[in-house]
Amino acid sequence: MRGVDLYDHPPYARNLADGGSNQTVCRYMASLKKFFFIKARDFVHAGEASIHIQNLLKSMHLDPALIRRIAICSYEGEMNAVIHGGDGILNVNIESNRLTLEIIDEGPGIQDIQLAMQPGYSTAPEEAREMGFGAGMGLPNMKKNADDILIESEPGKRTRACMTFFLGLTKEVQ
Amino acid sequence: MKPEPQDSLYVRFHEERCTGCAECLKVCPTKAIRIRQQKSVRFVDQCIGCSACLRVCPAAAVGSITRMPEDIGRDHVAIALVSPVLYAQFPRIMPGGVLMALRQMGFHHTVDMSFFFEMFQYAAAEFIRRNRTTREAPWPLISPACPVVVRLIAFQFPSLLPHILPVLRPVALMAREVRERVIPEYESQKQDVVLYYINPCPTKSTSGQTLDPHRSRCREVAIGINDIYPALKPQVEKVLSSDNMPFSWTRFEFETCSTADAAFGAMSGGEIARIEIEDSLAVHGLKETVDYLNKIEMGLLKDIEYIEFRTCREACLGGALAVVDKYIAKRHVQKMTTTFGMGRRLPQDALLRQYEQGRFKIDKSPDVLRKFFSSCKPTLSLADAERIEQLVANLGNHNCGACGAPGCRVFAEDVVLGQAELNECIWLSVHGLVRGRTG
Repeated sequence: MRGVDLYDHPPYARNLADGGSNQTVCRYMASLKKFFFIKARDFVHAGEASIHIQNLLKSMHLDPALIRRIAICSYEGEMNAVIHGGDGILNVNIESNRLTLEIIDEGPGIQDIQLAMQPGYSTAPEEAREMGFGAGMGLPNMKKNADDILIESEPGKRTRACMTFFLGLTKEVQ
Repeated sequence: MKPEPQDSLYVRFHEERCTGCAECLKVCPTKAIRIRQQKSVRFVDQCIGCSACLRVCPAAAVGSITRMPEDIGRDHVAIALVSPVLYAQFPRIMPGGVLMALRQMGFHHTVDMSFFFEMFQYAAAEFIRRNRTTREAPWPLISPACPVVVRLIAFQFPSLLPHILPVLRPVALMAREVRERVIPEYESQKQDVVLYYINPCPTKSTSGQTLDPHRSRCREVAIGINDIYPALKPQVEKVLSSDNMPFSWTRFEFETCSTADAAFGAMSGGEIARIEIEDSLAVHGLKETVDYLNKIEMGLLKDIEYIEFRTCREACLGGALAVVDKYIAKRHVQKMTTTFGMGRRLPQDALLRQYEQGRFKIDKSPDVLRKFFSSCKPTLSLADAERIEQLVANLGNHNCGACGAPGCRVFAEDVVLGQAELNECIWLSVHGLVRGRTG
């Protein structure tokens, strides 16, 4: 499983231009990585990973509005994997100035990402709709709340959604 | 900030009775309790007054801060502010009779809170109706009536503070009315006034102090329903058995209660029943409240307009200081309501006028609460958080509580913050991963 693409993001790009490599970046910056397994069709435990992330961020005293945006995104992403995907994984990586959420599932993939991004478009099965999910707002909500979003999909194989949030320089940087 | 065996604002702690059984440890929603030297101690600042520890303690070592004063009405003017839950404690008698019995006990005035509850319900309905067009506050709106819910949100869900309905709580409306209309008369006569809050829960924090330095003649005292019940019961019996009601003079319209459904608002769902908003929910119970707040924070329940949260089961009827069991009390209320029907006591047009004048608007911003609660929680840096994750991974995650913390994660936090030693973990000691406890 591939990690977050470091080269896409400005702080790293700058470091690399300075001649630093990936490893040196990681040594200088404290970072916290966590991952959670997501089980397909497990509506009972769906959302637990998001609550865990929420509580973690609260203990770090991030801005409540930001925590809420992150919570919405992680929940929507988690639900996507539960409803559509096969089993999946949720990676969260917190650094001093940004947070990345990566959700990878082994589901059927998205045929047309442009179409899936439209509010109200849904391919959720009847079973999920009966429970009140699958209103077609998942990806639009994620796009609305994340600072940066990247969705990759290989139809028939897997989908990877990577969201970035800029934390602003919080007081833990010493 | 170290935990100390100290009373919180809401809960009193009897160290001599504590057996160190750790029952209270895990029920605390804000993780404010630790066990040190086989006795429970608490982070007093983190207590939100939910009374979960009070309910669960088998040794009765946790009590409420309320008490029964000995000298009601002696050399001062006693005003009883009555929670409607009190009416549900006495079957076969109308709410007005209970208020009369209170006056027989020596209270000079009895203020019926259900009167202000109706006011609040009107203002809430009006705000919600207008919010559909103005979009002043985000959906779903959260009821401010339960103070524990408000504190829980300020403490654990600060992003939900804008969801709290910006209407004055019934208790605040009641206090204001009493302060504006009842107290000034006595103050001008240089008489002391004491407000007695008769409550089913230990959420009224003041106990006998003067609140306002300019009002040195006015004190507030919180009384639990269980404190006053033994003294009130014979008076209620007397009122019931007397053929003609004793003459009792009341001056203000909120001093007596003519309707039978006054306690209906204390039932779960009683608040939204009168608000007449189609998309509303009533959630009661501490765990359920936390679950639903989590859901709202994750962006769910946006199609609901109003949620009535109560952290006690069966809402205020299940308050920790109520005497009659919540299900029996609920049956009393339901019986009264089906027999006599629901009534309105307040003229709607007068309420609308007051609403337009902004009389129901909340006067202080919820940010005050948020600042208070965020100041008492330690901030974890990213490096701390990383260390906590590592520790939790190594601690075995059995959440046994033998270290005195409610779970491995909280213990790890305590260790990182320097409030606990790693060798207090029994699991690590047994496996020889740390040197055992010393001393």
